Amino acid sequence: MKKRSILHMFDPMPNNSPFDINMAMDAGFDVLMPYSNVKLDSVYRLTQDAIFSRGPSGVKLTGIFIGGRDLGLAMDMLDTSKQAMVPPFEVSVFADPSGAFTTAAALVACVEKELKAKHGKELKDCKALVFGGTGPVGVATGIIASLAGAETALVDHLSIDTASDIAKAYNRRFACTLKGACASSEADKVQLVANIDIIFCTAKAGIQVLNSTVLKEARQLKVAGDVNAVPPMGIEGIKRSDSGAPLIHAINAQGAVGVGALAVGNVKYQLQNEMLKLMLKTDKPLYLDFREAFNKARDLV
Amino acid sequence: MEKPYILHMLTTAKNLSPFDVNMAMDAGWVSALPYTNVEASEVQGLVQDAIFSRSAKNLRRTGIFIGGRDTKQAMDMLKMAKRSMVPPFEVSVFADPSGAFTTAAGLVAAVEHELITKFNTTLEGKNILALGGTGPVGQAAAVIAAQAGAKVRIIGRQLDKAQHIADLCSNEFGDGKITITAGADANKAEYMKTADVVFATGAAGIELLSAELIASAPQLKVAADVNAVPPSGIAGVDAFHNGTPIRGSNSDAVGIGALAIGNIKYQAQNRLLKKMIHSDKPVYLHFEHAFEVARDYIKSI
Repeated sequence: MKKRSILHMFDPMPNNSPFDINMAMDAGFDVLMPYSNVKLDSVYRLTQDAIFSRGPSGVKLTGIFIGGRDLGLAMDMLDTSKQAMVPPFEVSVFADPSGAFTTAAALVACVEKELKAKHGKELKDCKALVFGGTGPVGVATGIIASLAGAETALVDHLSIDTASDIAKAYNRRFACTLKGACASSEADKVQLVANIDIIFCTAKAGIQVLNSTVLKEARQLKVAGDVNAVPPMGIEGIKRSDSGAPLIHAINAQGAVGVGALAVGNVKYQLQNEMLKLMLKTDKPLYLDFREAFNKARDLV
Repeated sequence: MEKPYILHMLTTAKNLSPFDVNMAMDAGWVSALPYTNVEASEVQGLVQDAIFSRSAKNLRRTGIFIGGRDTKQAMDMLKMAKRSMVPPFEVSVFADPSGAFTTAAGLVAAVEHELITKFNTTLEGKNILALGGTGPVGQAAAVIAAQAGAKVRIIGRQLDKAQHIADLCSNEFGDGKITITAGADANKAEYMKTADVVFATGAAGIELLSAELIASAPQLKVAADVNAVPPSGIAGVDAFHNGTPIRGSNSDAVGIGALAIGNIKYQAQNRLLKKMIHSDKPVYLHFEHAFEVARDYIKSI
């Protein structure tokens, strides 16, 4: 019998995400095996158990997916898994906790595309804010934007300390230059958006973070991207399918455009699909995280 | 449509071993389902749920694998599973906790092969020291060798614990038909004077037998080590050894390392997983069956 492809799905949560399961099946993996409540200290052994039982040809048909909700933990698990490999017994590993890496990569790539097309600007010329910036998608968005050269701040809706601590922690880890900010009131938001070029909105679904009154105060805004697909939208006036449509409430920002959740979601879907397929196609093992996701997302858009 | 082969994989641990999952898939099982944190008291319920949902004919395409870490627990679960069957509603069950049964079978079969080919003798009447023998692999190897006629002594750091394990092996796993003795690690030098065979099944990275003790053994024939991580468990035996003369031995002893044992283990586990699929009537498989197929494999090469 021909060997089938197997994806071992490690997740620190009590359950794997059905989203990831559907994606992995649709990308062509023959067999999926869930491992739940996986702690960091069991990743080394689980990885070695996965690599030693199929021979050097079998490892090419074997992969590891790392899920969960915590971005730092997922990166630690990816690193640990990589260290456990014993070439030629080595398999590809893809980390995408909560789909955050692929969502963030798609968001930044979509925004970058509009920035170039409508304003002739690069990320490195811009100041960016990430609302909902302390959640998994927000942090990943911030890191990707910062590493691409944008002056980026993570905005928390409750605490500047939370935002700054998270920014510092990820700056140390990935050599990016994030700052922290807090927007607990309309007045805070008005102040923050005044001279900002890019707004990423990655806050909870169904919460309007920026309304028309705040958007009116934005004077340099060029592109706003919103990953919220549940009404009301995170940014007032953006429609889900918008992809470079004028941002109607940003009346003082010339030529500002918006990117909606479905436009981002479409790229994210293709991106996650392609990365899973890449694990099956590749000749040498790959370790995939938000960096590879962003490179690939740039190609896709 | 022919019903697919379904393997229900039970473990007392919080996750399955990816090793076993790969092995099951590659042996021809189509679907593998994990059942984690399984307690002994739940085995009957799970088994009966598995047997009553398919016709007797299709139960041949259904199996149960018992993993976990503990030998006694796995053997108890195997017995309980067998008792839970309601013929003709009955399926095959295979216990291999931590892969220990198939690893032990590979170890003993490899040793037997060297005794036959290099020393023109068998396991019958041989003095065997099972160093670090209180763990799952050591226990199963001791029982298999004793059932083949060897005089086995389990050596542990604490004599009372080694004695307890030796009694468990003799009475529980050997049905009282074998007698395995115990010894303290501190008295190793004394035992080496009469040892024909040494098994090293201790924790990775701990040397259980020094070069001096190897040199001091007047009738040592074979020394086998399951540890693949340096330093090796037996001085002078490395992972690649396969009947290789041990440097410094005054009795021309040969060494067997982890890779040679691992290869036979792999074959034994593969064959037992296939036996479940191809057997006409339900089979209940553990270390004894693992040793049979390991011997068959060695004869076939």
